[in-house]
Amino acid sequence: MNGALKSLASSVGGAVLAIAETIGGAVTLLFRILRALFPPRYDAEGVWRSFYNVGVKSYPIVVMTALFVGAIMVIQTAFYVKKTGATGIIGYGVGFSVFAEIGPILIGLMFSGRVGANNTAELGTMVVTEQVDALRALAIDPLPYLVVPRFLAMLGMLTLLMVLGDLFAIVGAALTAQLLVGFHWRVLVADLLQSRLLDEFTMGLVKAACFGISISCISCYFGLAVRGGATGVGRAVNNSVVSNATAIFVIDFVVGYLYSL
Amino acid sequence: MSGDAVIVCKGVGKRYGRKWIVRDIDLEVRAGELLGLIGPGGHGKSVLLRLLAGLATPDEGEVRVRGKNLADIDPFELAELRREYGYLFQNYALFDFMSVADNVAFPLRQAGGVEEPEIARRVKERLEQLGLGEALDRFPSELSGGMKKRVGMARATIGEPAIVLYDDPSAGLDPVTSSKIFRLVRTMHHSQDDVASVVVSHDIDRMKVICDRYVMIFEGKVLFDGPEEAIEGADPMVGKFFFGSLGQSSGAS
Ligand SMILES: Nc1ncnc2c1ncn2[C@@H]1O[C@H](COP(=O)(O)OP(=O)(O)OP(=O)(O)O)[C@@H](O)[C@H]1O
Ligand SMILES: [Mg+2]
Repeated sequence: MNGALKSLASSVGGAVLAIAETIGGAVTLLFRILRALFPPRYDAEGVWRSFYNVGVKSYPIVVMTALFVGAIMVIQTAFYVKKTGATGIIGYGVGFSVFAEIGPILIGLMFSGRVGANNTAELGTMVVTEQVDALRALAIDPLPYLVVPRFLAMLGMLTLLMVLGDLFAIVGAALTAQLLVGFHWRVLVADLLQSRLLDEFTMGLVKAACFGISISCISCYFGLAVRGGATGVGRAVNNSVVSNATAIFVIDFVVGYLYSL
Repeated sequence: MSGDAVIVCKGVGKRYGRKWIVRDIDLEVRAGELLGLIGPGGHGKSVLLRLLAGLATPDEGEVRVRGKNLADIDPFELAELRREYGYLFQNYALFDFMSVADNVAFPLRQAGGVEEPEIARRVKERLEQLGLGEALDRFPSELSGGMKKRVGMARATIGEPAIVLYDDPSAGLDPVTSSKIFRLVRTMHHSQDDVASVVVSHDIDRMKVICDRYVMIFEGKVLFDGPEEAIEGADPMVGKFFFGSLGQSSGAS
């Protein structure tokens, strides 16, 4: 009994320590990135390359996720609309959840699974194959060279992709409304546009920007902290994905709460 | 032959976990000198080389390069010093997102001051010299181990560094290419005055041709430090390692 309690306490303690270490590491990295941004000292060509890589890697899944998010929300909302007869709510219902909640969360999660995990693996591999040391040996600071471009690319790209995602979510919603629910797509889109969802739209973008920051910092942190060969890389990718998902939920909650004030 | 001390280690120790990998290392690398670092596998040569380049920080003692303690100087001074270095990694450490030509050109591009056509010319020349003229546009993942080593060699030497550290330059290479590599080490060493070179290798026969002085690392300590002539009077281990078959590969003895 006592032993079980002790081991429970030590594993809880260990988990708390691990969380604190991750937050500490990622936040420290964020400050170092910000310091490298003002005044700018980073590899401009690398920034473009990162934007391109991140964009190419992630836009297909963002588009696909968005189409489904729109479709699902129409089906869900239509259920209540049919039940209550409140047809005026369908545009708002779809728009609100797509722009402000489900859209950002799902797109953020997909982005983190695709780009964040990939980034941790890439940097981790560079660490274990001594490529990062090779940069340092050539007097190149890995932070402005490797991390800052990824940070800017993830921040910028995820925000842009959220706009794209919102558009495709509307497309998905309109198609589903027309084809499956028996609701004219024009009515849905007109209703949606009239619902004055600007706040929800900007909230989604703010969330996306925050996700971009957290995904880049967390994934770079885990990538650069890799120890111990290929298994170390695997472990880091795993930790990175889990931490990113957690961070996404926390940020979503905090931003949502702040908007509700 | 040899001049001022370029790198000085005083009581340097490095540990991973509780285990000291190297300890109490006192060592000088002098300008104009080609130093051979020898010793059995796993006894700390690569770790020491990383300490000499400031890629690892000592847990004990200090490493001074041109009089400056690497642990004390600010990042800009450190970057300034590192620009003088060329480093060949034991496991190549090629940038896998760049072609061979870009890997080799990288130090020149980063240092700046050389025009792109001139970079291309020098890169091609160096790679041809190492028998890699055909590999310019290939990627590191498409090369054999020995080819990667040679690309690493080209990258380490392209900027004509004043301090060059080679970690096992001939590992995995055939005898002809090995001789070529050692010849390049010597050519690089004499390409300017006062180059300081350190070669880690198990290829003692080829080292004998080019090295001025030897340091033997045994169980993380300096067991011998001196020219070939001084080996007779030293610990018998050194003579056995140096003249015996121990140097070639531990499996053969
Ligand atoms: N990052 C590390 N973490 C833990 N131990 C390490 C690390 N790097 C090296 N070691 C240990 O340090 C010891 C010395 O390793 P080192 O690579 O310096 O050997 P070496 O003399 O270069 O051998 P070889 O001739 O085979 O290249 C080894 O026992 C190795 O296990
Ligand atoms: Mg070694």
